[in-house]
Amino acid sequence: MKLRKVLRIARWEVTKNAGGVDKKTVAVAAVALLVAGLVAPYAASQGIALDRGIYRVGVTEESPYYQVVADDPTFVAREPSEDALEAGRIDVLIEPGEPPDAASSAKGDAALAELRSTVDDYNDQQMRKETNQSAAFPIAVTLRYVERENVQEVLDPGATGGTDTDDESDESDGETGTDTSGSDDGSSDGSGDGTGDETEAGDGTGQSGDGDTAAGGGGGNVGGLAGSLASGNASGTPADISPPFPFQSLVLAFLFVLPLNFIIQAYGSTMLSERLNRRGELLLVSPVTRFDIIGGKTLPYFGAAITMAALIGAGLQFPDISPLSVGISVLAITPIALLFLAATFVGAMFARSFKELTFVTVTVTVSLTTYAFVPAIFTDVGAVALISPLTIVVRDLQGQAVTLGEFTFSTLPPTLTAGVLFALGAGIYREEDMFTQRSIPLKTLDALAARVHGKWSVAAVSAILLPFVFVAELVGVAMLFAIPEALSIPAILVIVVVVEEIAKSLHIYAGYAHSRFEAGLKPALVVGAFSGAGFFVGEKFTLLAQLVGLPEQVVVGQAALATGTGAGSPSIPVVIAFLLAPLVLHVVTAAISAVGASRDRESYVLAVVLAMIIHFGYNFTVVSASGAI
Amino acid sequence: MQVALSDLLSDPRAAIARRDLASLSREKTIVLALLIQLFVAAFSSFLVVGLTSLYDPSSVSGEVNVGVTGNASDSLIAATEEMDGIDTVQLPNEATAARAFQDGGIRGTRVDTVIVANHGADRRINVTATAPDGSLQTTLIVVQIRETLEQFERQERQDRSAHIDRELVPLPDDVAASPYFGFTYTILIPLLLFLPPFISGSVAVDAITEEIERGTLELLRVAPVTLVDIVDGKSVAMAMLAPLQALLWILLLGANGISVSNVPLLMLTVASMATVVVVIGVVLGLVMGERKSAQLVYSVGVLGLFASAVFLPEHPATTVAKLAVDSPTNTTYALVALYAAVAVGLYALARAYVDRVDVESL
Repeated sequence: MKLRKVLRIARWEVTKNAGGVDKKTVAVAAVALLVAGLVAPYAASQGIALDRGIYRVGVTEESPYYQVVADDPTFVAREPSEDALEAGRIDVLIEPGEPPDAASSAKGDAALAELRSTVDDYNDQQMRKETNQSAAFPIAVTLRYVERENVQEVLDPGATGGTDTDDESDESDGETGTDTSGSDDGSSDGSGDGTGDETEAGDGTGQSGDGDTAAGGGGGNVGGLAGSLASGNASGTPADISPPFPFQSLVLAFLFVLPLNFIIQAYGSTMLSERLNRRGELLLVSPVTRFDIIGGKTLPYFGAAITMAALIGAGLQFPDISPLSVGISVLAITPIALLFLAATFVGAMFARSFKELTFVTVTVTVSLTTYAFVPAIFTDVGAVALISPLTIVVRDLQGQAVTLGEFTFSTLPPTLTAGVLFALGAGIYREEDMFTQRSIPLKTLDALAARVHGKWSVAAVSAILLPFVFVAELVGVAMLFAIPEALSIPAILVIVVVVEEIAKSLHIYAGYAHSRFEAGLKPALVVGAFSGAGFFVGEKFTLLAQLVGLPEQVVVGQAALATGTGAGSPSIPVVIAFLLAPLVLHVVTAAISAVGASRDRESYVLAVVLAMIIHFGYNFTVVSASGAI
Repeated sequence: MQVALSDLLSDPRAAIARRDLASLSREKTIVLALLIQLFVAAFSSFLVVGLTSLYDPSSVSGEVNVGVTGNASDSLIAATEEMDGIDTVQLPNEATAARAFQDGGIRGTRVDTVIVANHGADRRINVTATAPDGSLQTTLIVVQIRETLEQFERQERQDRSAHIDRELVPLPDDVAASPYFGFTYTILIPLLLFLPPFISGSVAVDAITEEIERGTLELLRVAPVTLVDIVDGKSVAMAMLAPLQALLWILLLGANGISVSNVPLLMLTVASMATVVVVIGVVLGLVMGERKSAQLVYSVGVLGLFASAVFLPEHPATTVAKLAVDSPTNTTYALVALYAAVAVGLYALARAYVDRVDVESL
């Protein structure tokens, strides 16, 4: 790759679209963005009440419930009658002097449950208007989070007495009206008896007596827009306290991912249009390598993605922008952007028509957004959230520190995966595949075969496919996080076995399909052994996961990594056995698959299934022996 | 009737529609599309079920053990005796509570949370609740602490009602309702019904721009069809797909015990939406003549349109939710009629536009 050539192609990519038709695009897009910009504040101020009017309550205006129902847009007030309830025209019937009666349906129950929580909120709101605030809100809560190991000193009687009084005096200074309910009615009298305090949302960590145990707040050093949206409340009335959930940070982090979806649409189009009517041939025959072309055509879109991330990062912190914090966000978004672009590139190389590219783009959008977003939901829960780089962004928005090890653990696998995808796509960036209607399985084999030349390259491909394996397995772990352990461990073992065996053998099959290897039993065994060994070496990278310290309670995570990281036993022979056993396993199973691959497709499939069964047996034994089940 | 049907099938527009649909099924992309939608639905349901089980104590088994101490602990325990999902135990002092929280020894287990309740100087009860940090259970425990204390608060308010001027509205009974009911009708069903039109419109952009960019529009024009026929055929094919997919989702939901009401009206709404976005897509395709810009403007534009629907008296997603859950109002019906009218009107406008397009310039 020559930088000068890459830059020139990048310049063409940008400038060739600047004239003619595209002024129209710019105009229409500008109008669309303007409309979106005008609508957004209105939509935000209205709140998006999707459940507006879905339950109907029969209630008269005299009933104390009438105001409750009228205040909550979820409900519609109707004329009360038994008949209406029977006929399903209303879902809850409130008759004078009787408790609310629900229709005997799932909807009726749901409506009554909703009414219950609405009444609760309504009562709290009424109480806020009371003059006698200590009778209206007789309970003042301070919630604190404590690591179980530290509990002794925190709950030491002497210390608590001190912090308690501090907390209370802090609170009584606050203004009335809590930030969670948002119903700060101006009629409240005086500040002396308030409960919530406005400063709470700004820095949750400052509230509790001992700063390091409170995880309730968000915000931290993020001022501006992000700061005012922090979540997780730690004191006030009982209704005020809420669990630590990085909701706002997640929404903001989503802002970083959103523009990527638009960028990959344009990128996919431009890559696919190279393949229409042999347009790309001119560049292919020019004295540049295909990596120059791909690099040059990708660079403007990558640049746009990074610029957007930087702008969003800076915009969220406006007016006091911390370059370090923005930098961390941008660096964490970089692998996600690369992954989006790489997946779209491969999709554009494989797609046979515009329609197909649309579906591929939607698939990329959905699956990668999922990968980025879901683990980040568990940011506050544990290290497993770090498999998504978006977790870094969420932590950064919350003002939490990120260690270098965590950063590497989080960003390295997606970066490597993006690299592998680009390499595979580059394998079919050539005339035979670009301008013909080859079937997708054949193109897959072409892409893999382009990287396979001999036994050493087989080992190398096995190793470089590993990040892909690693990400696939970790996403599997995250998806199975919620189901019971007894089920999730066998399930994760199956995922691991299927992913690994295919990754070890598919390129061997591709090599045989392209006659890259000699036929016969012995060459097949050699190639298989090299694939297994390459995989084993690559797998040692999974030790990285342990270096940053995945928490020990993530048993499923250990199950996923069991074949690679069984070490840790004191006696040396056992350690060696633990290290060598996976090597033997990978070599044996890959050799079995390779022998199958050297024959034909049917025997390849059979051999891979056999290899999977052996691999599963091994993993299951290791996991059972280590006592995880 | 036989004659009419064969006439219909030999219509050039029907032929073009068939051709576009056939290319979708040949590439098996429609399968991919259905899989994506299924994934989105399954995934959002998984997310909600997962998150609800983090928050909703009744969705998981097991109780939260609460250790209570302090000079107001008697009234706290009395107030919360009847509650489900928690198990309170009174502890003599904070040091014991701290040990119970860390090491256990109370009824053979550790307490999940310690609540210290003391009467304060201003006649309030000051409560300090301690929850374990950084585990999946934390959320559940905090929610349980909140419910416990809210119950306590209600009891204390009642005891002090002589000092409160305003009337409290009595709380309705606690019923065992599905925590997913609201989500199913207000998020999941609108999502499943609006995804097909959105994808249809996007594919309509492709159907037009691909013919233009590949130069195959020339070939179609050699056949005895007008540009209006071509556009008609392509639009109908795409607009038809959306309500069919919507029907599939409704049937699937029905098979899972989620009954959806007003199906014909929902289908009409989806068909109208699909027509609107397909017309937008087709016109953008003709105007831009190039996939890249047309798709970009299409997706930004349609998302903008969907967002600006908040100016309507009822957002389309709410309209769909109200129809599906069987709480429609006159506004709902009026809006469905409006969408149908807009769809027909836009389609007529688009045809008039296509009629005037100079084919040579494409």
